Amino acid sequence: MNTAARRRTETGADGRRDGAEEKPLLELRQVVKRFDTGAGTVHALEGVSLSIRRGETLGLVGESGCGKSTVARLVMDLYPPTSGTVHFDGKDIAKAGRDARKARHARLQMVFQDPFSSLNPRHRIGRTLEEPLIIHRRGNRKERAERVAWLLERVGLKPDAAQRYPHEFSGGQRQRIGIARALALRPELIVCDEAVSALDVSIRAQVLNLLLDLRKDYRVAYLFISHDLSIVRHMSDRVAVMYLGRIVEIAPRDDLWREPRHPYTRALMSAIPRVHPEQRNGARITLQGDLPSPLNPPAGCRFQTRCPFAAPRCRAEEPILYPATGEHWVACHFA
Amino acid sequence: MADLLAIQGLRTWFHTRAGVARAVNDVSFAIQPGETLALVGESGSGKSVTAYSILRLINEPGRIEAGKILFNGTDLLKLDDKGIRSIRGDRVAMIFQEPLSAFNPVQTVGAQIVEAIRLHRRIGRRAAYHRAMELLEQVGIPSPAKRVHEFPHRLSGGMRQRAMIALALACEPDLLIADEPTTALDVTTQAQILKLLKSLQAENGMGLLLITHDLGVVAETADRAAVMYAGRVVEEGLVATLFTRPFHPYTAGLLASVSIDDLPPGARLPEIPGTVPSLLVMPRGCAFAERCPYAAGTDGCLDHAPAFLPVADDHRVACFRTPPTPRPPLHAEATGEAAGALLPLDAAARVVA
Amino acid sequence: MYPALLKELLRNRSALTGLILLALVMCAATLGHVWFPGDPWDMVGTPMLWPGEDPANPLGTDIMGRDMATGLVSGAKVSLLIGLVSTLISAVVGITFGALGGFYRGWIDAFLMRVTELFQTVPQFVLAVVLVAIFKPSVATATFAIGIVSWPPTARLVRSEFLLLREREFIQAARTLGMGDGRLILTQILPNALPPVIVIAALNIATAIQTEAALSFLGLGDPNVMSWGTIIGNGREQVVDAWYICGLPGIAIVIIVLAFSLLGEGLNDTLNPHLKER
Repeated sequence: MNTAARRRTETGADGRRDGAEEKPLLELRQVVKRFDTGAGTVHALEGVSLSIRRGETLGLVGESGCGKSTVARLVMDLYPPTSGTVHFDGKDIAKAGRDARKARHARLQMVFQDPFSSLNPRHRIGRTLEEPLIIHRRGNRKERAERVAWLLERVGLKPDAAQRYPHEFSGGQRQRIGIARALALRPELIVCDEAVSALDVSIRAQVLNLLLDLRKDYRVAYLFISHDLSIVRHMSDRVAVMYLGRIVEIAPRDDLWREPRHPYTRALMSAIPRVHPEQRNGARITLQGDLPSPLNPPAGCRFQTRCPFAAPRCRAEEPILYPATGEHWVACHFA
Repeated sequence: MADLLAIQGLRTWFHTRAGVARAVNDVSFAIQPGETLALVGESGSGKSVTAYSILRLINEPGRIEAGKILFNGTDLLKLDDKGIRSIRGDRVAMIFQEPLSAFNPVQTVGAQIVEAIRLHRRIGRRAAYHRAMELLEQVGIPSPAKRVHEFPHRLSGGMRQRAMIALALACEPDLLIADEPTTALDVTTQAQILKLLKSLQAENGMGLLLITHDLGVVAETADRAAVMYAGRVVEEGLVATLFTRPFHPYTAGLLASVSIDDLPPGARLPEIPGTVPSLLVMPRGCAFAERCPYAAGTDGCLDHAPAFLPVADDHRVACFRTPPTPRPPLHAEATGEAAGALLPLDAAARVVA
Repeated sequence: MYPALLKELLRNRSALTGLILLALVMCAATLGHVWFPGDPWDMVGTPMLWPGEDPANPLGTDIMGRDMATGLVSGAKVSLLIGLVSTLISAVVGITFGALGGFYRGWIDAFLMRVTELFQTVPQFVLAVVLVAIFKPSVATATFAIGIVSWPPTARLVRSEFLLLREREFIQAARTLGMGDGRLILTQILPNALPPVIVIAALNIATAIQTEAALSFLGLGDPNVMSWGTIIGNGREQVVDAWYICGLPGIAIVIIVLAFSLLGEGLNDTLNPHLKER
């Protein structure tokens, strides 16, 4: 619906699509991540490949347990992949030496989900924001203080916030501080892992607007991870849909909404409760059952246990991600 | 029709070391039998405290200071401990956001449902087990004969929430209070649970008090809604009215904040500036005045709290502004006219008219 | 932050009582020799004088005619010194083991925890006796022995705090900023793990003082130092005729142990974030 109108406004709003094709800023190639737990092996990611161009926002959407947060942590090098590679600016992050790792941290930052646990409760905000500058030896004391003041102003907080402790701030304000910290080193890519899902709706809009402004002003790329399809659509240029450790569909935003091809994507889109239910396009698909355990994912297509269109082939053979049209890739035998 | 539940002038305050937090301050609303009322608000608005006050589940330092909670005509606040216990779980049941913490982890699901039944009904253990299995089947849990002997942590999130609904329905309550029943669930599971709640309600005609922050859930589930802000109900009415012609600027702002689907991707979202005032230091006037686009022009807003008064049939608002001229519903614009008419979706424009 | 903590402590009844008792003992230890100068080993009066019998020895004398008051004052100093220093040793060892194990997990953790268990399987007091007996009994060896047997609970506590904290998002955030392990442990995790450690340390001091008294009682104390345990040990033969010789240092031990226990309890109340809410 209204696609033509949307496209018009969009090309006016951002010209990021211009310019020659360049090598991706971030690239995951066939990444597998398994965790050994007492109960067995958790198959968190099974062969995930994706890429983000400079200045681009890739939305990553899926339900809890689909592996989207694992992707964020792998990209941030908080743990290594079991197999496959993560490349940042063309270099394999696993092969980086100490200095290269540190340099990469300055270019690749993260905004966390929980505004209450993502700030050190015993440090004043000023110290939290200065910390990245100290670690990366940016500027002298005076320049750092100026930078902290600038950061606070940029995210819409008063300069006296630097003297205060995290518990003195509301959830929305803390998330702004988290964004300011991520911004301190002027990164090229910010990973936002459910960055607004813990916030109230009236505050959520403020934070999303801030992220939009930063993208416009600094041309920063985002890996925008969320379970909320509406927010992902609003923020992203391209969107990847994950289910149980796999990408089931990845496409430019407008293509995906115009023609969602995977049954899971369609179910997800139709399940969102809408303020004006009449506006839903198409009938609601209510999925049966729950997400299978990632300890022993189903054979064949991972979605077959809940798919309303599952056929014998789906139980026998796992579909691979293939290009349906242009940049629109889908992993379904019948899409 | 007589009200199933009528709350009048409820005040629940928390006497903390830092001062008195007026979590619920003069809240009034009513629920009819078989009706779904949504209590909507953001965190700290007092919606959960209101729900807990109904069953008098408020712990120190919280205290119910004033008001009446009339359930089928009886004031629950006047009952003795035995009296309120006989209401809890029997006539009024409650389901919670986090089902795992609502169940006792060392007892099977079945044993807990049996216990709930036998607390209020003189019925044998064997018959109660049979009833527990019926209930599990009713809420759509596959192979209930097996599940009845499972421990809560062995069930998935969606199944656990279903089991908790079965537990709540054990004595066929007249009123079910659901405190953020789907917030901890994924969207696809959420859709299942909401559908289940509606069908159960249609079956046994109970009233449902749905506490949620999700306006989408309200639109799809509730008949009427009461919007809470900083301990007070600021607007109450039929969902259809509230969502198409919101009157209170806060309601309008909330709706605009979730209008993300109607905006072109990447456009700035309408936001409500500022943050919720602290419950410890409530402003003298309207609690929303500081964030309100109209307060500047109205002298009264900062000095006096507005009364909660009707602006139309079954539509009450606490705001000083005069009622607007009626406008056609928003969705009629959205679906009927060109996309341009939708944009920019400015809440202010819609309300001011 | 710390003035606020002190203010909160003073409002807590058990902490306040503990602090007052502690202040009394501290006064005795630091200023006591002004009133009761001299060597506690000197035989200054008639043996076995009851308290109040002779104004020159207000708290009486023991079997050898040594002044009780002088002995108690000297004992206060020894008890405090050994209690504090041995607890410091146990805290340093415990925090190091717990922090490294909890932070790095894996084989480092497994190894450190096996060592911890090794220390825990041997009864603390027996181990302390053995250690003091192996080396020459002295204040230094007693302090060292008490410290080295009492760190395992601290290590376990610190480890569990570290295991929880290392998963918190602000720690992950610090990692993603490129912070090194040492800085991460010392500036980010440890300050957040300290509150329960401070509580357990206060209780440890009380235990350490009791252990020291027990060692001295068994004659494993420093032969040149008069401690409360020594006085009790020397007076045990006369407990029927002159109970005050054992009784007075006994009361002193009760007071100081009570002081640190109350302080520990008060610290627990003020530092425990769950009780602090609302």
